[in-house]
Formats: sequence, C-alpha cells, structure tokens
Amino acid sequence: MTARNDARATSRGAAGAGAGRGTGRAAGAPGGSGDPADDLAPAGPVGRPGGRAGRGGRGGLLAGIRLSSLRLRLVVVFALVALTAAVSASGIAYWLNREAVLQRTQDASLNDFRQEMQTRAAALPVRPDADELRRTAEDMANGGSGYRVLLVGEGEPGKQTIGASDADRFSLRDVPAGLRTQVDQERQVDSGNEFPYHLFWVRIEKGGTPYLVGGTRIIGGGPTGYMLKSLEQERQDLSSLGWSLGVATLLALLGSALLAQAAATTVLKPVHRLGEAARRLGEGRLDTRLRVSGTDELAELSRTFNNAAENLQKKVADMSAREESSRRFVADMSHELRTPLTALTAVTEVLEEEGESLDPMIAPAVALVVSETRRLNTLVENLMEVTRFDAGTARLVLDDVDVADQVTACIDARAWLDAVELDAERGIMARLDPRRLDVILANLIGNALKHGGSPVRVSIRTAGDELLIEVRDHGPGIPEDVLPHVFDRFYKASASRPRSEGSGLGLSIAMENALIHGGDITAANSPDGGGAVFRLRLPRDASAIAGGDGDGPGASQPDKRDKQRDKHDRRGKKGGTDGGA
Amino acid sequence: MGQNDAVPFLLLIEDDDAIRTALELSLSRQGHRVVTAATGEDGLKLLREQRPDLIVLDVMLPGIDGFEVCRRIRRTDQLPIILLTARSDDIDVVVGLESGADDYVVKPVQGRVLDARIRAVLRRGERESTDSATFGALVIDRSAMTVTKNGEDLQLTPTELRLLLELSRRPGQALSRQQLLRLVWEHDYLGDSRLVDACVQRLRAKVEDVPSSPTLIRTVRGVGYRLDVPS
Repeated sequence: MTARNDARATSRGAAGAGAGRGTGRAAGAPGGSGDPADDLAPAGPVGRPGGRAGRGGRGGLLAGIRLSSLRLRLVVVFALVALTAAVSASGIAYWLNREAVLQRTQDASLNDFRQEMQTRAAALPVRPDADELRRTAEDMANGGSGYRVLLVGEGEPGKQTIGASDADRFSLRDVPAGLRTQVDQERQVDSGNEFPYHLFWVRIEKGGTPYLVGGTRIIGGGPTGYMLKSLEQERQDLSSLGWSLGVATLLALLGSALLAQAAATTVLKPVHRLGEAARRLGEGRLDTRLRVSGTDELAELSRTFNNAAENLQKKVADMSAREESSRRFVADMSHELRTPLTALTAVTEVLEEEGESLDPMIAPAVALVVSETRRLNTLVENLMEVTRFDAGTARLVLDDVDVADQVTACIDARAWLDAVELDAERGIMARLDPRRLDVILANLIGNALKHGGSPVRVSIRTAGDELLIEVRDHGPGIPEDVLPHVFDRFYKASASRPRSEGSGLGLSIAMENALIHGGDITAANSPDGGGAVFRLRLPRDASAIAGGDGDGPGASQPDKRDKQRDKHDRRGKKGGTDGGA
Repeated sequence: MGQNDAVPFLLLIEDDDAIRTALELSLSRQGHRVVTAATGEDGLKLLREQRPDLIVLDVMLPGIDGFEVCRRIRRTDQLPIILLTARSDDIDVVVGLESGADDYVVKPVQGRVLDARIRAVLRRGERESTDSATFGALVIDRSAMTVTKNGEDLQLTPTELRLLLELSRRPGQALSRQQLLRLVWEHDYLGDSRLVDACVQRLRAKVEDVPSSPTLIRTVRGVGYRLDVPS
C-alpha cells in the first residue's frame, strides 16, 4: 500500500512539474492488476538447502548413537529448535529484502518511464506516424534505465500505430491484456481521483525471466506507452541471498548439533556416573558414594543418592549387628548348654550299666534320662554346627580318601549294611573333609531310611572334576509343596515327618556341609515314581575352596586359615540364602 | 610308663566341678585310678608329685590354659596327654596338637569313648618286637623302645614313637593319613588327619637334620607320608 501511495504521490509531483498539459498521469490503481501477483520463485532455494542440511546432519549423528537415547533426543530437539529459528529468521529476512529490492528497482524504473513519457512521448504530435513513435521509443529506451519501450499511438483515427524500441523482444503481445485494459480505461475525475488515466504495472515471466511491465497514457490525447524491464539481475541477487541464508541455516543446524552433543555430555556424564554407582550399590558395595560438585539438579540427585546409600548402609549394618548378636546368643547358649551336658553324658553310662539291677519302677525313668540326654546332645551338637556355619567359623579338614570306603564305613558304623545297596567302585579318590562327608551321608541315608524305607540305593559316580553321590529311596516320595523346603531348618511337613524324629536340622546341616566343600545337594522325586532322590555334588578336590591344601605344615599356618575363613564367609552367606529358600 | 600292666593312673585337669566329678566317676568305673586338679597350676604340681601314666587336660582353664600346661609338660616330659576340647573351636584342636598333645576328645564325651582313647594311647608305648632298624643316622631299637640319632637318645612321646615304628615297618611305602590314624591312634574311619600332620611335624623336629626340608619322613602328595631309607 505504501508503495502504491508513494507512486501516486510521485506521479502527482511529476505532473505538477510537468509541461502543464497534465500529461503523465500514472499510478497504480487500487486493487488493479498491478499487484505483484507473481513470484520470483525465491522460497524454494531457501527451504531446500535447509532441509537437506537437516537430513544430512542427522544421518551423520545417527552413527554410533542408540536410537531413543537421551543424547539423540537432545540432538534432535536442538536441531529442530535451530532449524525453526534459522528458517523463520531467514524467511523474514529474505522476504523483507525481496520487497525492498524489487520496490526500489520498480520505483526507479517506473519513475524514469513516467519522466520519459512526460518529456518525450508527450512531445509527440497527436497523431504520430510509426516512424516517429519508434524513434521516440528508442530515445526513451536509451535513457539508460535499461528498459524497452513500446508506444501505441493513433496515426489515423481508429487505426493503431505502434512504435517499439526493440520490436523483436517487446511487442504488444507481451503486454498482458488486463494491463492494457486498465491503462486504456478512462476513469471519472472526481474529488478522490484527479486524473482520468493512471500508470499501472505488473510483473510477468517470459521465457523463464521475470519482467516488470508498466504502462500509461498521456492525458489529453497522446500515445500510450509501455515499458518492459528485466528483473533478472534482482532475481540473481535474491537467489544468492537465498543461498547465503540457506548456508547460514545449515551452519546453525550443525552448530546446534554440536551444542546438543556438548550439552548431552555434560548431562549424561553425571547420569552415567550415577547409574554406575547405583549398579555398584546393587551389587552390595554399600560404601559407594558419589562426588558431589555444584548446586544443580544433578548434584542434588547425587546428594540424594549418597543419603540413600548412607541410610541403606546404616540399616544393613544395624540389621547385621542384630543378626550377629542373635547368632552370638545362640552360639553362647549352646556353649553354655554343653558344660552340664558333658557332665550328664559322662554319668549316663554309669546309669545305663546299672539299669538292669535297678528297681523296675525306676529303670524306665533312668532309661528315659539316658535316651533324652543323648537326644539333647545331638540337638546341641547340631545347633553348634549350625552356628559355626552361620558365623563362618566352620573349617574343612581335608584328606585324601577312597570315597567308596568312606561310604561303606559310614553305613557300617550305623549298622545300615542290610538296608542300603551300594553301587560304587573302589578306587575313586577325592580330597575332602571325611567327617563332613560322613555327616552328609548319614543325614541323607538316615533320612531316606526314615521316610522312604529300605532298600536305600546309594550310587557313586564321577563326572569330570566332580563327585556325584545319589541317595534314592523307595518310599512315597516328597510332596511337591514340601520339596522346596526340605533343606530348611526345623521344617517338617506334618504328615510325612513326625515331630519325634530327628532334630529338624539334619538336611540343613548336610546342605551346609556340601556348600562349604563347594558342592551342593538337590532333592527331587524319581521320575518313574520310585521315591525321593537326593543328589550330592562335590568337587573331587576341595583344596581350591578350602584355600590351603592341608598338607603337612601348611595346614596349621594361620594365614591360610584366614583365607579359608574368608572363603567360607562367602560360601556361608550363599549357603544361608540357599538354605532358607 | 613302666606301669602299663597295672591299673592306669590318670591325672584329670578340669575346672568345672560337675564335669570333673562326672568324668572321675565314669573313668573310675572303667577301671582307672584318677586324681583330679581344678587348675593348670595344681595339675602341674600333682604331675610332679604323683607321676601319672597319662593326663586328661581340659583346654579352657582359669589361669594358665590347657595349651600352656601342655607346653610346660612337654619341656621335660613325654607322657601322653589327651585334650578335652570343644569341636566348635577348630583352632583349639590345631593349637593343642601343636603344643604336643597326643590325642583329643570333643565334649560332651562318653566315658566309654574316652576310656578307649586312653587305652589306645597307653598301648602305643608297649613293645611288640625285638629287632631294630637303621635309617642313616637314625637307629630304632624296637626291643628297648628307644630311638637314637648319631648315638644320642631322642625323647619321643609314645605316639611319636609308634608313628615312627609304623612308618619304619614299611620303609619306602606311603601310608595314608587314615591308615596311620587306624594304626597309631586306633581311630575309626573318621579320624582327624590333623593328628597325623601335627605328630609328623613334631617327629620331624626331633629326627630330621633340617625339619623344614625333611629327608627321612617325606610327604607324598595326595596320599600321605613315607619313611625313606637314605641312599
């Protein structure tokens, strides 16, 4: 609008300064075809390089980045923000520039054209011939503004005469019909409109080149003049501006990607450290702490993590202290129980031997005292064994033994030879703790005899570095719901395991003894329905677990024992969780 | 040690009254003559005064403990010592055996078991053959039950002597710890192999020129021990 008003103002000024004949009425009419309806097709180049840069940049960054990672998301968001900002800034800059450049060129050309029309075309006779028109047109075109001129006059009434500065490149055909109509139209002169004719212009495209076409008519009779101005130079300028803006956008995009990388690194490094610390904490290293620096949210998070870890450590320490004290209580208690039991045990034999000569009323009481003292003995002994495992003070006393001999001796010592079938070859040597193997076997076989009934089948096999001992009974098997608990302390399935038998610690102790060797025991029911199967797995050489080889002087070196204890502490903890499962 | 044919004479050192009384009662019924002491100091005094055949010694004692009593006895005397210990204290066993005990029993112990151990230890001093054997500088006289090295008498406990005798009976042949436990200690299949190891250590200290690199009593890895005839 401003442009048109300006144009009109200048035209009036020009008219005032004119030859007084009121020629050169020229200005864009409102709503006319003079609106710059066409386009120099500038937006494309700006948008496209940007788009290409965006895609190309992202493709490069994708390499080595996990999709959906925080880093990638940051880069994408940064790039989008940069793209939006750059594109809108470039777009506005381009648009303003384009308007300014075109307006300036246009105004200069049109003013010059109007001037030429007033000075040269208006000087023509009312009915100029073609030659006069052509010469005048050439004069106008050579004025230096670089436009071509076409003058249309009425040589004779009703007959059009045309004079062109360059007839080959600018003829009346090139002037849009709409413009001609507007130019030729005579308007009523009133208060709002001083002149009957105005100057109109339009931008057209011819042969791929943008042109400005303007036209006006000399007021009071005279030729109609048209001008054609090439806007190729302006288009080139705007195009290179577009490319510059595109390159700038691309650079902004690259910069934003780099910034995003940097930002991601500063954010992700603490996050990574935090994750690492959380993992260590999860592994049980409760003394894990983060170094807190700064006051940002991540530092706050680190501080929270440290507090949580500290609380956790305190709580765990509390719990283990409590557990330790209760464990110590049980250990102390069983120690205390042992002193009176030792005295009792020593004299029960005296009572037993005298039993037959005692009063028949008293003899059963004595027998009860004797048998219950024995049971109490077993219970206390088992209790102390368990506390040794819990406290991690249990040791392996290793020796090289013939496994079949040990099993036979174990069965023999308990008078089970008739009830147990042994399937084993002599000569299977193993390095283990014979006393603990005996405890395991006695508990497994005793359990099988108690609940499964004879015959109990014991088979010994080796598999690589392992010893596999299987104890199979022919009883009803173990109920499925009891199976996971058979190694629990004091666990007794009411129906199948009467309270009166055993201490309730036997299988648990057997398991602990297997674990301290680096082996284990599994319980299952025979798939053919033939009763319960306990499988004992032991390494053939437990030296690695024990830490020392127990050979000669090495067996009693304190450092080796400490190592042994350390190893057992770990095993003991493992055993504890397994046993309690 | 010359009283093996008579009733065994035991010194029982135990601080707990009930246990002391009960064990005295039980051992007396098994046919032993028993004197008792409540502390290590009293026990050592009684040892000098009465010359028992064997000492049953509790580890946990007020004042000087069982290990110290054991070490003091071993400085001058080779008479058999059986420790009364609690199995929970595994280190106790090792320390006790290193301080010179011949055997140990775990509380609570049945009188019958203790009696069997006592008799087994006492039997080790009995002579059974009349020949002698020579291993380099070492001469084992089985009739006099003495061992000399370079002509000097070695002071061996009955257990050490018996271990040497059993090894010397099969020179060059490795014996497993379990075999030695049966032969020397008369233990069942569950004998504690540390008894053998500790006794071998003590024996090496007495018979070997350099105890840390033995040339006579050799360790056979994965088997046990062997007495070599020096070439």
